[in-house]
This record gives sequence, C-alpha cells and structure tokens, in this order.
Amino acid sequence: MDDLNLLQGLRADAPEPDAARLTALRDRLTSATTATVSPPERRRLWRPLARRALLAGTLAAGLAVALTFAGPAHESRPTPPAPSMRPGSLLLLEQAATAVEDKTSSTPRPDQWVYTKSKVVQPGDGRVTTQESWFRYDGKQRADFLDGELKVSDVPPDPDDDDLSPQKYHDRLTALPTEPDKLLAKVSRDRHWSDLPKEDPGAGEPADDRAYRVLSVYLEQQAVMPPKLEAAIFRAMARIPGVKIVVDVPDAEDRLGIGVYYEPKGQQVTTEYLVLDPATYHLLGRRTIWNRDEWITLPGKAPEPAFEAGSFWASAELRSGIVDKPGQIP
Amino acid sequence: MVVETESAEGAGGALSGMDDAEVIRRSRSDPGAFAALFDRHAPALHRYVTRRLGDSLADDIVAETFLAAFRRREHYDPGRADARPWLYGMAANLIGHHRRREVRSYLALARTGIDEVAEGYTDRVEARVSASAVHRELAEALAALSADDREVLLLIAWAQLSYEEVATALDIPLGTVRSRLHRARKRTRAALGGVDPTAITDEEADRG
Repeated sequence: MDDLNLLQGLRADAPEPDAARLTALRDRLTSATTATVSPPERRRLWRPLARRALLAGTLAAGLAVALTFAGPAHESRPTPPAPSMRPGSLLLLEQAATAVEDKTSSTPRPDQWVYTKSKVVQPGDGRVTTQESWFRYDGKQRADFLDGELKVSDVPPDPDDDDLSPQKYHDRLTALPTEPDKLLAKVSRDRHWSDLPKEDPGAGEPADDRAYRVLSVYLEQQAVMPPKLEAAIFRAMARIPGVKIVVDVPDAEDRLGIGVYYEPKGQQVTTEYLVLDPATYHLLGRRTIWNRDEWITLPGKAPEPAFEAGSFWASAELRSGIVDKPGQIP
Repeated sequence: MVVETESAEGAGGALSGMDDAEVIRRSRSDPGAFAALFDRHAPALHRYVTRRLGDSLADDIVAETFLAAFRRREHYDPGRADARPWLYGMAANLIGHHRRREVRSYLALARTGIDEVAEGYTDRVEARVSASAVHRELAEALAALSADDREVLLLIAWAQLSYEEVATALDIPLGTVRSRLHRARKRTRAALGGVDPTAITDEEADRG
C-alpha cells in the first residue's frame, strides 16, 4: 500500500450526516436563500447561526466573508467618517455604572412580550432597514410584521441554540456576580456556547477578548438587565486592557453617544463601537467603521474590494419595552 | 418557502438532469433551485469537514459554505459542470480558520493514540482501538506539514479531487499542486519509514 492509500484509511469511518441533520441544514439554507422571504425576515432566520458564529469567535472571520457577498458593497461610495468623534475617558464607564446601579427593574410574566424596534444601516449602499419584533418572554413565540401583517410564529425548542429567550437571558444574567473583578473572572472563562467542546472552551481566544465580547453581548440584553449587573459590566469593561472610549459616536439614528470599543493591538481594519446614551447610559446601538479598505480573496477569483475606508455599519434600538400582547407598543 | 423549493425539484425532477452549472444558473432566477446543489454535495462535504475538524464544527462550516456559494452564484464559471472544486475551495477557507484545532488533533492522535475527532462521531472504545501505529505516524506527518501542503494532500486523499480540481479549488497553478503534493507525500512517506517510495516520482513533481 502506498502512502496515499494508507492516508485514505485514516478516519475513513467518518460518517455522512444522517437525514435529520441534513434536513435541518438544508432548511437553514433554504430559509436564507428563498426569494419570497423579506430581507429582515431572512436575516432573522439566520440570526441564530450568525449569533453563534459571533459568539464562538472561531467562525466569525468566515461569517464576515459570507456577509461580504451579501450586497453590492463593492459599489460603495466613500462615506465621510463621523465628524466629531474624540477621545473620552474611561471614567465615563464608572459614571455609567453609578448612574444605572440604583435603577429599579421588574420581571415580566412568561406570557408577556419583549418589544423592540430597531434600525440598521448597511455599509456601502447605505440601505436602511427598520424592524419591529415581539419576542415572548419565555421564548415560545415571536411576532414580526411580514408584508404589513403581524405574523405570530412558534419558536421550536432548540437546546443547541445560543440565542436565548429573554427569560433564559434574565436567569443567566441574574446568576452572574455583580462584583466587577469576579464578573470579569467569570466571563473570561465563560462557556456560553453549546457548540464548543468542554475541554477547550476558548479555541485559543485570549481571555480579555472573550471577556469584552461576552460582556458586550450581555449588555445588549437591556430588556432583562438587572441594574446591579449592568453597573458591574461597565466597571468590568473599564478593567479590560485595550478598552477605550470616544465621545460623539452616532448610532444608526444619528444620535450621538459614548463609544466604547476594544482595541488591544492598535487600529484594525474595522473599529466596532457600542454606543451608549450620554445621559442615561442605555445602549443606543452599535457602529462599525472601516478604517481601511477591506478586500476579500476567494478561490478562483482576483481580490475584490468589499468595503472602502470610511464605510460604516450602524444599528439603533429605537424603542423597546414589555407589553402584554404582540402588536402592542410600549 | 421550503415547499417552493420542493416543488422546483418535484416538477418531474426538472433539476435532476442538469449539471451543477445549469442548476446554479437556474438559481439566479429561482433561488430555491440552489437546494439541489446542496442535496448533491452537502453529504460528502459534511463528511470531509468532519474528517478534518470533527463532528461539532461540520454543520456550521457546511452551512457557511453553501451560504457563501449562494451569494457568489452570479460569479460561478458556467463552463464548469462540477461545482465541487468551487465548494471545497470555499470550505477550505473556512476550515483554515480552525488550523490550530486541526493540528492539535493530529498531534494528540500521534502522541496518545486517541483521536478526538473520531471520538466525536464514533464510540470511544472503537476510536482508541482503531488508532494503529500507522495512523499515529500519519497523524504526526499531517501535523508537521505546512497548511498549504496539507490542504492539497487532503483534498486529494480525502475529498478525492483531481490535481486539476485542486488547482481550481485553491486557485493555484497545476504545477504548484504537484509540487505541494510531492512535498507532502515525501514527508508522509518519511514518517512511515519508507513505505513504497515508488508511488510518486520526482519527475512528476518537477513538471510544476
């Protein structure tokens, strides 16, 4: 036997996926590719995967490439960078913590709904999407407007889905330590994700990168955020080397806020800001700015420009709250 | 939406007689048709990714590969009847992000005889028994290869692509495929202690 034959025997027992697994994968694809689905809906269907990839970090680069294919981004026009952004002090995070820690919060009933209205501006073509959605607190159903009509759909239980229900997020957040150093130690080793093996929760990701990433995901769960934890998140972020602040960062609605970002190794191709309301420190949205042109290279193709320097992606949470029925607005 | 997809195929198997290029062209006006490409290639691609990285990453990598392919479908070269090189090339990019994990599994297999990748898809006892001395030596060699050489070797040995298909998949000249394969096989044979060194000649490699 020659070496290639021997090599063909290595892991030769690796199986093809069974029918159920293939069907689930195929559904992921058809959900994303079928033209009858409106763009916001399509994005929502892919969100669990996108979210998981984002969380897992390991797939994030691959996802970025995939997203790059999404639109006519290569036709992007230079976008002037947000004009007035300037460095701010990390002390703003301590101010944020002080401002939020004594807020009151209430726990919704399982059959109540978390309403969010959000807006996203895409890089390049500047396409704007505004989306309203209702997610039942216990995660069993969600509701969206499709073609002007409110559609309530069941969310089948998915134990592997990292995109938790509001209630599950609330339980998770409530269980976290509210002492900043303890919180930081916890999220540096957090195994939030079901698809990473126990023995290697980080896939080599540095502890600080992970801590910042996990805290910023948690910060997005404003609807269920315990105030003491929110304060601890701000204080913990301020302790991570590489976390920086700029002020007057616009969200997708052009509301200026405090931009928190993490840049431990100098400026990268993009900088991703969390944008906080300068008065209430509520998370307004996010903004990602391309500092340099980004090119992608695919097998069989010449490198292509994907995003030009100055492009930006931005989101804004326009309204959110707890209501009794889908379709209601708080 | 899944229903529409099925009707596209169900219509007298309209897609079944088409080659991949025709299916991809059809999917430009009928996105549901793209599912036929998935049905043709996903099982083998999934197995290949499982073999490289283990069971737990295969779903996401296969899904990302086909999503990327779908979004690139306008750019598909209609002269290529078989989409496998295109798909495996995109998968190679995604697999490449897990290089350290891949190498670590070969090293662990070489040193301990325990294959964590195989343990993911089979029962543990079986995986341990199957790690023969030859497999441990092969794993040692795979871990030591450069990422580029390993990619070529495994696309040929495990994905069964031809030299030309590997060149297309990785967008490298045919000669580079040959020289990388030559280098990879030389190291593999050395690790095996010179099993049948006649399987490849230097002349073959020098053509690149």
